Amino acid sequence: MPVKDSGDYIIVVENISKTFPDGVKALVDFSTRIHRGEVVVVIGPSGSGKSTFLRCLNGLEEIDSGAITIDGIALNDHKKSRLEIRKEVGMVFQQFNLFPHMTVLENISLAQRRVRKKSKEQARDMSMDLLKKVGIAEKADNYPGQLSGGQQQRVAIARALAMMPKVMLFDEATSALDPEMIGEVLDVMKALASEGMTMICVTHEMGFAREVSDRVIFMEDGKIIEAGTAEHFFSAPAEDRTRLFLSQIL
Amino acid sequence: MHNRKTRITGLDVVVTVLLLALAAFIVYRLVVKLNYKWNWAIIPQYLMFFDEAEGRWKANVLLQGLFTTIRLSVWATLMATVFGLVAGVLRTTPRLFNRLVGRAYVELIRNVPPLVLIFIFYFFVSSQILPLLGVESFIRSRGPGTQKFLGLLFSTPDLFTAFISGVVTVAVFQGAYIAEIVRSGIQSIEKGQWEASYALGLSWWQQMRDIVMPQAFKRVLPPLANEFINTIKYSAIVSIISIQELTFQGMQVMAATHVTIEVWLTITAIYLIMCLTLSFGVQWLEAKMARKDF
Repeated sequence: MPVKDSGDYIIVVENISKTFPDGVKALVDFSTRIHRGEVVVVIGPSGSGKSTFLRCLNGLEEIDSGAITIDGIALNDHKKSRLEIRKEVGMVFQQFNLFPHMTVLENISLAQRRVRKKSKEQARDMSMDLLKKVGIAEKADNYPGQLSGGQQQRVAIARALAMMPKVMLFDEATSALDPEMIGEVLDVMKALASEGMTMICVTHEMGFAREVSDRVIFMEDGKIIEAGTAEHFFSAPAEDRTRLFLSQIL
Repeated sequence: MHNRKTRITGLDVVVTVLLLALAAFIVYRLVVKLNYKWNWAIIPQYLMFFDEAEGRWKANVLLQGLFTTIRLSVWATLMATVFGLVAGVLRTTPRLFNRLVGRAYVELIRNVPPLVLIFIFYFFVSSQILPLLGVESFIRSRGPGTQKFLGLLFSTPDLFTAFISGVVTVAVFQGAYIAEIVRSGIQSIEKGQWEASYALGLSWWQQMRDIVMPQAFKRVLPPLANEFINTIKYSAIVSIISIQELTFQGMQVMAATHVTIEVWLTITAIYLIMCLTLSFGVQWLEAKMARKDF
C-alpha cells in the first residue's frame, strides 16, 4: 500500500518510530510526505530527533516500525533496496567527513567509479564540473586537510552530488563552520534549491529557511509540533513551544 | 613549537660514567677474572669456508642458519599478515559469529606459551597433516632443478616438513598479535568515515578497501613493524624442533667447539643487524608516508 502511494511525492514517511538502546525515543509515530523538488527545513532543539529523522531516510539508522518509501522504493531490510536508496539519496554531514587520504578530486570521483562504474575520465570530468559549480576547481589536487572548513563542506556537497541523487539531506551542514564561512556553503545550497533539487535540511539558519524553503518543520521529542512556510513561523507560529524555540535561535 | 636543543646536563654525565663503569667491570670480569680462553679465530670458518673441490667460497653452518632464519621469517611474516588481517577484520564485522571466530583464535593463541604451541604444531602439523597431504614425497619426486629451487625458497627435502611446521607455528601465533593490531587500526577510524562512504552507496568491501584500510594501515604501521621484527626474533624458538636456523646452528657450533661466548656474541650481532635493518627500513617508510599530506 505505501509503495504505490508515492505519486507526486518523492518521499513518503509513514508512522516511523525509533527508540535508541538507552531508551531515548528519537522518533514517535512520525509521518510526513515530501514533494519532488520541495525544500524542507527541519528545526528543533537538540535531541528533538531531527538528525535521527534524516539518518533514517538513507538507512543510517534503523527504524523500529513504520515505513519509508523513496521514489517508489521501499526502504526495508533487503540489501538491494538499501543500496538503491543510498544511490539516490545524497547526504552532507556536520563534520564534512571527507576522506583525508584522498585528494579533493578522488573524494568526488570515488563513488562514481565504484558505484556508478564510470571510467576514470568520465568521473574526472564530472568531478571537475561539480568543483566549478561549488567554486573551488583550483583545489582539485589538494588534500582535505589543506582546505578551510567552508571549502571542505563545499567539496562534501560536490561529492554527494556526484552520485546524481534525487534527494539531498543536509545534517547541520553549517553548524561546524566559522561564521564567515557559513555564507559560502549556504550559497551553494541555495543554488541547488533553485535548480529544483529535493532537499531536506536540518539547520538553524532561518534566513536560509525564509529565502528558499517551501516548508519548515518544527520538531520536539520525536514529533512534529508544527509545520508551515517560513513566513508562518516568522509571523504567527501557533504553538507556544515553537515561539519559545524561535525566540531562542533568532 | 618548542625549541628542543640537544644539551648535556650534569645528570647525563653521571649516568654515562656509571654505565661505562659497569661495562668496564663486565669486560674486566670476562677478560681478566673469568679464566676464559678467547678464541675468535675459530668463528669465521663457521660463517664461510673455501671449498677446495669447487674452488669457491661457500656459506658454512652459521650463514646457512641465517639464510634459513630469513626464509622462515619472510614466509611466516607473509602468512601471519594474512591470518592477522582475516582475524582482525572478522573481529570488527557486525556479525556475531564472525567476531566470535576471530576472538576465539586471538584468545586461544595469546594465552598459551609459544613454546607449547610449537610442540603441538610440530607433533600435529608436522607428523600428522603434512604426511597426509604427501608434501614430502611430492617434493622428493620432483626433478633436481625443482628441488633446488624449492630449497632456495623453503628448505631441502629432508627438512621440508619441519620447515613448514615451523613457518606455520610462527605464523599462527604472530597472526594473533597482528590481528589485534589490525582490529585496533580499523576501530580507530572515525564513525563519520563509515557513514559518509555508506551514504555514497559503497559496499562493505569497498568501504574497507578504499576508505578504512588505507587510513588504518598508516596508523598501525609502527606496531605492525614491531610485530614483523618480533617474527624474526621468535623464529629462534623453532630451533627446539630441529629446524636448522641461526640459533639451532649456533648451538651446534657451540657443542662442537665449546667457544660459547664468541658464538653467542656472533649470533647476537647477526640478529641485531637483521632487526635493525628492518627497523630503519620501516622508519624510512613512515617518514615517507608522513610527507603525504593527510
